Amino acid sequence: MGPKDIVAASRADAPGIDRTLLRLAVLGLVFVALFTALFSRLWYLQVLATEEFQTLAKENRVRRIESEPERGRILDRNGVPLVDNRYSLSLTLDRSVLEQPILKRAVLRRVSKLLDVRVKELQAQLDDSTVSPYKPIAIASDVPHRIAQVINENPEDFTGIEYRRLPVRVYPQGNLAAQILGYVGEISEEELVADYFRKARPRYQAGDIVGKGGLERSYDTLIRGDPLMERIVVDSSSKVVSQDTIQEAEPGKDLITTLDLEIQRMSEKALAAAIKANRAAGYRATDAAVVVMDPNDGGIIAMANYPTYDPAIASDGFSTKEYASLGQKTPDDNTDDKVLNRAIQISYSPGSTFKIATAGAALALGVIEYNDLLPCPTQIPFGEGTGQVTFENWSSVDYGQIGLAESLEISCNTFYYQLGWEMESRFGIGLESGDETEKFQDYLHRAGFGEPTGIDLPFEGDGLVPDEKWLDAYCEAVPSPECEIGWLPGYTVNMSIGQGSLEATPLQMANAYASIINGGNVMVPHIGAALGEPAVDPAEADLGDEPSPTVSEPDGAAPSDSPSSRPSPSPSGETATPSPTGSATPTETPAVATPERYIRRFKTKVANRLPLDDRELAVLRAGLEDVVSGDSGTAVGAFSGFPLDRYRIAGKTGTAQVGPTDFNRAWFVGYAPAGDPQYVISVYMNYAGHGGESAAPVAREIFEGIFNIDDDTSDVQVTAGDASG
Amino acid sequence: MARAEGLFGHAVDRIGGEPISSRMARRAPIRHLDPSLLLITLMLTVFGAVMIFSATASKQEEAGLDPATFLKRQVAAAIVGVVVLLVFSTFDYRHLRAFSPVIYGVTVIALLLVLTPAGELVNDTRSWFRFGAFQVQPGEFAKLAAILTAGAYIAERKGEMSSIDVLAVLGIIGIPMLLIFVQPDFGTMLVFVILAAALLLVGGARVRHLMVLTFVGFVAVVIALQSNVLKPYQIDRLTAFMDPNPDVQSEGYNLTQSKIAIASGGLRGQGLRAENTQTALDFVPEQHTDFIFTAVGEQLGFIGSAALLVMLAFLMWRAVRIAAMSRDLFGTLIAAGIAAMWAFQIFQNIGMTMGIMPITGIPLPFISYGGSSTITNFMAVGLLLNIHMRRFI
Repeated sequence: MGPKDIVAASRADAPGIDRTLLRLAVLGLVFVALFTALFSRLWYLQVLATEEFQTLAKENRVRRIESEPERGRILDRNGVPLVDNRYSLSLTLDRSVLEQPILKRAVLRRVSKLLDVRVKELQAQLDDSTVSPYKPIAIASDVPHRIAQVINENPEDFTGIEYRRLPVRVYPQGNLAAQILGYVGEISEEELVADYFRKARPRYQAGDIVGKGGLERSYDTLIRGDPLMERIVVDSSSKVVSQDTIQEAEPGKDLITTLDLEIQRMSEKALAAAIKANRAAGYRATDAAVVVMDPNDGGIIAMANYPTYDPAIASDGFSTKEYASLGQKTPDDNTDDKVLNRAIQISYSPGSTFKIATAGAALALGVIEYNDLLPCPTQIPFGEGTGQVTFENWSSVDYGQIGLAESLEISCNTFYYQLGWEMESRFGIGLESGDETEKFQDYLHRAGFGEPTGIDLPFEGDGLVPDEKWLDAYCEAVPSPECEIGWLPGYTVNMSIGQGSLEATPLQMANAYASIINGGNVMVPHIGAALGEPAVDPAEADLGDEPSPTVSEPDGAAPSDSPSSRPSPSPSGETATPSPTGSATPTETPAVATPERYIRRFKTKVANRLPLDDRELAVLRAGLEDVVSGDSGTAVGAFSGFPLDRYRIAGKTGTAQVGPTDFNRAWFVGYAPAGDPQYVISVYMNYAGHGGESAAPVAREIFEGIFNIDDDTSDVQVTAGDASG
Repeated sequence: MARAEGLFGHAVDRIGGEPISSRMARRAPIRHLDPSLLLITLMLTVFGAVMIFSATASKQEEAGLDPATFLKRQVAAAIVGVVVLLVFSTFDYRHLRAFSPVIYGVTVIALLLVLTPAGELVNDTRSWFRFGAFQVQPGEFAKLAAILTAGAYIAERKGEMSSIDVLAVLGIIGIPMLLIFVQPDFGTMLVFVILAAALLLVGGARVRHLMVLTFVGFVAVVIALQSNVLKPYQIDRLTAFMDPNPDVQSEGYNLTQSKIAIASGGLRGQGLRAENTQTALDFVPEQHTDFIFTAVGEQLGFIGSAALLVMLAFLMWRAVRIAAMSRDLFGTLIAAGIAAMWAFQIFQNIGMTMGIMPITGIPLPFISYGGSSTITNFMAVGLLLNIHMRRFI
């Protein structure tokens, strides 16, 4: 008897063994099915789909945290901060909250109550198109600690809200040098692929804060600093379980510039005052720019623009509204653009200020000798027969035979027409003389026209030196009947007095004059002088103890002087004059220099040498001095009453008509002290009067400030000017 | 064995050539123990204890507490369970037929009491009695009480069940089920539904009756989901497993984390108490109780999880085998009821963690942390051993 028989035999109460066993078998089959399902699912999850889920698990727990790096400051030549940092406690909202409307509403309502800001305003911030898609959205900055405490204590009420201590740019000098300093913002997609950022190491990443303009941009790689990068593992409640540092934080280096805070301030003041005066005199005076440069090393001492803006609005990124306030309201008109650095980005016909370039070319090409005389008639015809064109001087007086110096003093157009015509005849574009063509243009390029000067600022304009290539391109874009004829000699003749299609930036003009002054070196202008870091021990500080930015020129010229040891700019040197940086105007913001230790000094560079000898340069300089102090100089009026006996000023006015309007582009480029030039000042004003009337007074005001001259007529005036260009 | 002397001695003490004493001894219960059932019970219990420790130790340590707290309590429950097992396998289970009304009455009273303030309110649920440091969950024991009582009733009918009998069985199981539903403990309530179905099936209810009940059950589910009998959160939990893209903070979040944990175990697992795992970082909720399978899956991988499933399947096979071998229908029904209870709990619990079943709080037999359920399961094993041992007498 087997066990089964015993079971069967013992089932006295069973209705039938087979039926019960059958029903048990059904139950057993169900169990088998259930276990089969579990096995299959387990196989799928752990064998087939495990990689996908392992990635999810990693995303769950591993987070990369990158702190905002601290950018280096930007200092003036004396170590006074122009751009500084401070920390702002900001509230951010996590993006995931946006996808949960109910939660979002609840959180926003609580935040609104806490900050006393309307929900609508918070919502507007979330909706702003300029908000970064990579980071939590900042919804409030400069939040008091008390509020952070409330959020910390009630995390469940503020899901997705975090407060972070973020470094924010501050501008201790207000809107001083706004366009030069630039501003920072999150790197855009276009910038990420642009060469400038793409080639930098370590790589830039989406979400990085970068310089968007000015020095902030051109020195971004040096001053941006390294963020603290950490890899953290969090648990389900986002508590950090472990963390390891991938990269230590390293604050960015400070950029020490060649800018002089006081001169910058004076320049901007003078410019704003001049705009006001010109408007009072009936000019539109829409915009203007000033460059103050050290002619010896190309260091920019000041660069001022009008109109201007407050860079502080960009410190937490531009909102759409803030961006709209920056001007450029009509697409083709940039005269109201406040961010534009007109000193380097805008180029116009420089008018008669350009005559030194024509004179230089004529001297270099042997068209004229330094002591040659040429007539200065009221008008002069060129060409023959029907092709004859008559070019007129601005004056109805025939000055007779004059030299180069006098041609500059009285700004004789017909004198320069002859030089232009002669250069066109000998080296003109129409000639078949091979390499001999376009020599005028070649000289101009060598003198820094028609191409960027290479200043350490982004988006520098080229200016324009018209040549055959340019004409072909131009005619292809804008065909006109004249294009059939090709290059006309008249183009060169017009160019010789800085008119026609020729264009230069205020910086190019300053640089061109610097090369005449410094013995023929066409410098690469620069603002960055050195990199430094705050000195822990003030005894190590370089600024104040040592000559600041030492510059060595490739040709071995002597280093330039530091501001503190800069010789008193007295022409005879007989009197002790106040320090040039001593302020003529009261200081608004206490300018405190901080102890700074230098890490690296930038070298100054000479781009080219002018092919002119000392005698030739001296003639040009003599002419420029007479413009201001000669009997019939075009800027004599503008400098009347200026103590020229103590501070000899030299310079040249320029005037170019603005298209079909009655207004002019007024120019003045000058330098001082004439005997030992330390400052070149280039002034340009749009929709204004003549150069001597609208531009020269600005330079005068700045010179007065630099040389600390007490002037009764301290405000810029629109001097009744000559009609000259 | 000593041989009987005398003329008839030889004939009297032998039946079929075998001495009576020998025959008696052969039928002695202890000789028909199912050692493999005992062994698998102990293996599962040890496995569960290890998993409970590895799922709780990190968190305990972090809080500065004894990492073995949960392990110690579970071992204590298992020791109590072994005693209960011995008790429940010693006496003849058939005595329970007579006692079942008493057991049933005590259970219903306990389930009523737990709803009063005598029961402890935990997470808006009244499922527990607290006696000092100990908590007792009457709902767990009620499952066995329902099996015994319904089994006794059906066994009386000797496999012929009228409509009235079917309704009576539904009533016997329905009363504790309803009391558990109002606690509310939805998961345990579902176990009762399964018990009713299994007992009616094995107990001999007519196919017609079973079909009608299946239909009624289906309609009831639809109504329950449509009406407001269930609270929204309950419906959310029940339907979350069907949502492929769950919200981060909703019920689906737990499910997603649970699946991630199991799947990231891969073939070999991350190792017991591995760092930086879903388990260690506490991404899965209730990991020592309802979601303990995620700890198994992540730390031991497919190999370990499959081994656990094999052990559980072996347990099921022994239970079904005992149901088939039982001397009487009462024993068959008890064993089948226990098997159905375990099968459902295993499938529901593991299925939930892998996203093929709704989320309901049901412990995984022998593996999940919990005194009442552990003791109940040991009690069930005791009953199975009891039935197995006494299949010849």
